Formats: sequence, C-alpha cells, structure tokens
Amino acid sequence: MNEGKKDMETLVFQGLVGLSVSMYLWLLAAGLTIVFGVLGVLNFAHGSLFMLGAYFTFTYYGLWGVNFWLAIALSLLSVAVVGYFMERFFLRHIYHLDHAYQLLLTFGFILIFDDAVKMIWGGVAKIPPMPSFFEGTVSVVGRPFPFYNLFIIGTGLAVAIVVWLLFEKTWWGKMVRASASDREMASAIGVNIPTLFTGVFVFGAMLAALGGALGTPVRVVAPGIGAAMIIQAFIITVIGGLGNLKGAFVGAIIVGTLSAYGILLFPVFELFLIFLIMAVVLMVKPQGLFGGG
Amino acid sequence: MSGSKKISRRDLLKAATVAGIGGMTLGLSKVGEAASPKEKPPAQTKSKKKILGVDVIKVGGQGVISGAHADYGWQIQSGAILAIDEINAKGGILGSKLELKFMDEELKPAVAVKNARYLATDWGAHLLFGVDSSGSAMAVGPILPELDRICVFDHASTHRLTEELVYGKGIKQIFRIAAPVYQESNLAALIFKEFPNIKRWAGIHCDYEYGYSVWALFKDTLKKYRPDVEFVSIAWAPFWTMDFSSHISAVMAAKPDAIIATPWAGEGVMLLRQALMLGVFDNIQAWFQCMGGSVDILEGISREVAAGKFKDKLWATARYIHNYPDSPENNKFVASFRKRWNRFPNYSAENAYSTIYVFKAALEKSRSLKTPDLIKAMEGLKLMTPAGERFFRPEDHQAIYSVPGGRVVTDPNYPIPILGDLKVFPAQAYYRNPPFEALKMDK
Repeated sequence: MNEGKKDMETLVFQGLVGLSVSMYLWLLAAGLTIVFGVLGVLNFAHGSLFMLGAYFTFTYYGLWGVNFWLAIALSLLSVAVVGYFMERFFLRHIYHLDHAYQLLLTFGFILIFDDAVKMIWGGVAKIPPMPSFFEGTVSVVGRPFPFYNLFIIGTGLAVAIVVWLLFEKTWWGKMVRASASDREMASAIGVNIPTLFTGVFVFGAMLAALGGALGTPVRVVAPGIGAAMIIQAFIITVIGGLGNLKGAFVGAIIVGTLSAYGILLFPVFELFLIFLIMAVVLMVKPQGLFGGG
Repeated sequence: MSGSKKISRRDLLKAATVAGIGGMTLGLSKVGEAASPKEKPPAQTKSKKKILGVDVIKVGGQGVISGAHADYGWQIQSGAILAIDEINAKGGILGSKLELKFMDEELKPAVAVKNARYLATDWGAHLLFGVDSSGSAMAVGPILPELDRICVFDHASTHRLTEELVYGKGIKQIFRIAAPVYQESNLAALIFKEFPNIKRWAGIHCDYEYGYSVWALFKDTLKKYRPDVEFVSIAWAPFWTMDFSSHISAVMAAKPDAIIATPWAGEGVMLLRQALMLGVFDNIQAWFQCMGGSVDILEGISREVAAGKFKDKLWATARYIHNYPDSPENNKFVASFRKRWNRFPNYSAENAYSTIYVFKAALEKSRSLKTPDLIKAMEGLKLMTPAGERFFRPEDHQAIYSVPGGRVVTDPNYPIPILGDLKVFPAQAYYRNPPFEALKMDK
C-alpha cells in the first residue's frame, strides 16, 4: 500500500531508525535478563525502574536545570538507591519461595511506583527540552537522520561492550557467573552471595534507568511508560533466551528493526508481526535463540 | 553469562498470565475508588420542597486521568468543577445543588462500562458525562437504556456514536456536546483543497477507532473536491506508542507533500518533536495535527514554535480553541478558568464546562430528573456557550457548532502558541448530515 517502499535506500534508512529504537529496548531487556539469569527473579517492576530513570532525569535536568550528563548520572544513582532497597529489604526474603511470590511482590512494586509517581509528579505527562547540542541531523542515504538517534545507537553499542567486558573480563563478573551457574558452590568457595546479588540487582536497575533517562529529550515522561515497554522487553528475552545477555541484545535488535520494517511494509498488521516472530521462535527453538547453551 | 535454567519458559508464561489477571483486578479495584474524599450514601434524601425532588443532583463524570493522555481528564474535571461551583454559588439548579464524582476510564472500554454502572447504580448519579476514548464511548452508549440515564459525551469523537448508535439504533440517551471527527477530517479537507501544490498526502494515525474514522472521512471528502490528490503512505500507532520515529520515516519514504496526524495529547507532542528531529518540516509543505489546537499540545511544543522550527507549516484545529470566538461568554470563561486553575482551558475543559450548563438548561426546561423528560428537553436545545451557540440536532443528538482551523503561531498576547490565520467554515459546511450512509473504514 505504501509507495516508494521497495528501494534499497528506504530499507537502509528504515533499518537505521529501527536500530535506534532497538537500543532503548536493549537497555531495558539487558537489566531484566541479567537479574533473571543471576538472581532467578522475574522482576515485573523492571519497567518501573525505567520510568523512574526518566522521572529523575526530568527532575534534575528539566526542572532544576542541572547539566544533562550530570542529570543522567544522578538519575542512575537515584534509581540505584531504589534498587538497593528493593533487593535488600524485599526481594532477598523471598528468593527461596515459589516464583509466584516474586511475581506478586514485583507486581506490587509496579502499583506502588506508579502511584508514587502520580503523587510526586502528577498524572500529566512531562516534556523536558532537548539539549541544544543534540539538535541537527546527518545525511544518511540522502535523508536527514537525527544526530540524537546516532548518539543512542552509539550508547547502546557502548553499553553492550562494557557489560560484556564486565562479565567476561573482571573478577566481579567471574563471581557473578560462578554464582549464576552454581550458587552453593560459589558460596562454598567464599563468594558473598547476598552482597553479590544486591550488586547485580542494582546494576540491572541502573541499566533500566539509563534507558529511561536517554528517552527524556525525545519522548514524554508519564506514569505507565515503564509498563508500556516491559511487555516488549519480555518478548525480547523470550526470543533471545532467558537470562542470556547476547540473546537480549540480538532480540532487541530483531524486535526494534522488524517493528520498523513492519510499519513500512505491512502497516495493516505491523503489531501482530512481533508476536508472530515470538511464536515462530518458540516453535523452532523453545529455549530462545541463545538459550539452553 | 549463559542462561540459568532455574526459570523455565512455562514459568514465565504462567507469570505473564498472572500479571494480566493482576492488571484486570487493578482495573476492577479502581471502579470503587472515590474521586471526592467524602463519600455519601447512595440513598437520596428526598425533599418535598425542591422542584426536582432532591437536595443534591449527582453528576458522574469519566475521563482519562493517567498516562500520556492524562491532561484531558484533568481538563474535563477542571471545566466541570468550575461550572458546578458557579452554579452552586448561585443556588444550584431549581434549588438543588450539584455534586460531582469523577472516575478514570483508563482508555479501556471495559473500565468505562464498569465506571458507568458504578456511577449510575451504586453511587446514584442522576446524570452522566465523559468519556475520552471513542472505544469507551461505543461501549458505554449501548448500556445507557439499561441504566436509564442520559450521558453527554464531551470528548470521544467517532462519528459512529451519533450516526450509528443514536440515528441508526435509536439509543436516545446518548448526546454529544463536542464536535465529532468531522471537525478534523472534513474541515482539514476544506482547508487543504485550496492548496493546489499539495497533491501527495500521508497519514500517521491512531491504531483504533478514532484514527480509522478521521483517515476515512478525510480521504473521502478531499477526493470529492480534488480528484488529483493521492494518498501515498500511512502508518498506524497504537495507544502507548513511545517512539514514532519508525512511523515518521516510513511515511516520509513516499515523499509526501503533506501529513495529517491524529495522535493526541502527550503522544501528539512526542510525534511532533520526533518529526522535527527527523527534519520533516524541511521536506513537506504542511502538517495537519488534528487536535493540535489543544492547550496541552500548544504548551508542549511552545519552545519549538517560538524558535520557528515548524516554519509556519504546522496546522491544527480542536473541538474549541481558547482564542475563538471573541465573545463575552468565551472571554468570561477563559478569564475564570485561568483565575481558578492558572492555565488556559483546552477543548475538553470547555466541552465539560458547557456540558454542566446544558444539564442546567435541560433540567430547567424539563423540571424533572426522569430520563424521558430530559431527552425531550435536550432534543433541539439551543444554548449559548463559550464555543458559540450550540444546537442539539434531534436526529442524531449531535451538538452543532463551528470551530475554525488554523496555523500554529506565536502571539504577543498569549504566553503559549495559538491558532492564527484562522479558516472559519459554518458547521453545516463540514458536518455530515442525516440520513447517514455508513462509511467504509479500511485500516
């Protein structure tokens, strides 16, 4: 139905736009899958941490006029504190219980965070300004591509590299991987599991917050934006494989870019496309693309 | 990090199901929530002295008060409260005071239906008004005969509410005070038929009732005047779209001359900002943002309008704009609203404010709270309101009044952008008229 959709340049451009959208999804799915993989916790409130990252950034940068980069850093720290309290005082006490309890608890957190946000910031969407140094476009296949979207792609890739290095090359990462594969053994050789878990949860929370924070200049900050994103993040982890970081990265790119192509090529059933892909992956490889390895 | 097998896929899916059920119970629990802190028992204190037979006329309203569209619910409440306080300060309606309860419809038809049932049966509302979403309106309309209440719809704009449910099915309890989708679809066609160089149109539309009807009517009407125009691309966006970049770049691939877009409230602001980022306004001649004349959008893009980033190519309308008409009724309403709430009223605020005055006029005419009497009083009712004179057409219960479209501009007299270069058409020129033919609404 849409004209001009077939040429290569259009596909390249649309793919690049989709890639930039993928990066927000990646930041959200990364923390979700890390917490899954290591703590064994289904954190439904992970989207709320994304939302809080956006609200804190809006407050520091949009309301108080703090420098954009500093505002993001402060926002990550603020969400880290929230994550610390969630893990240390709530989640820690239910690790040994059935997953249904974790679900109820984290679902409760969604309600608490959504209502807290409404009480503090009100229900009306907030629209912070775009920092002037991000304005402008670069020409990609002859069409204007936003500089900010390039920055988002770069940031997403950088986070992927940093996270990979952290888990593969550092002592902390080795301890995390050890306790993910055998909690008792890791504990026996002297790994302080509770502290490690708190650290992993806080790290995941900060990744979510980064996704929320980076959206503030181009999106709106409103109650429920986390819940709007979390379904996609779950789809990504299912496609990529539960608890698998590489899977989350690839899954995010699949969901983000295929949505973009769906909007271009099949506008009538674009929404259905992502669920179709998930269904196909589940049938062909039930453990997810990178799961079960 | 390789996958932990402690959580199976089945667990996750099970969990997702439970979360879904949790979400539903959340919706349920909200039904009982009181908007006003002091809850009164549903039993009426009958008063023989009052003409209407009650001390208090209970008015139950609904709107969306959470999420990216929450400002509409706020505006509806603010407009209604202003009118109720004005009326109560002057002794109420025929000696009975008004009391308001307002609930969140969450843009979910099922929630809106539960709210309407709760308001009419448990809380004891005599009169109903709302809702924001067209889907919610189409769900609430059919239960009104059973609830035996009239409902004045003050925002939901699908033409099907009045054309199909009132005119077609004869559900007489439905009235609509707000201009329906004729406002943004047919009016836009009338404005842009005068631009001979705009031949290639694209649409970015809401992936629900509202977007489908606007796109269908716009194409239908424009094609009648301008057989030479083409509709070259379309993108659909559901509620809670957080990023429109893919939609914008998809429609821009077809190199349109102009774009008509329906996402509203916070989503409309987001869409316009992302369009600016993608350099859209360097490559098109016009962008018609359907409800862009609403205050929340004008506030949200005021920095960009002031900086001239839209290059005078951004057009919009609304179901009322605060700078039109220049009448004593409108000037008084805008001044009172700003004094009370320290903001400009958007169209939802005016529509809700006028709804309360329509209730007043109808009750004074019927001198009865009985639904058949009220319906009789409302049909053919004429009332001067801030938006101009409204006339409730008896055939479809649609209020007829005219709102212009225009360019989004800055004005030294206003702290936020307004619509300028106004194109005024009489309502008869762009409203659909009975008998109605069903419109083909292809997605």
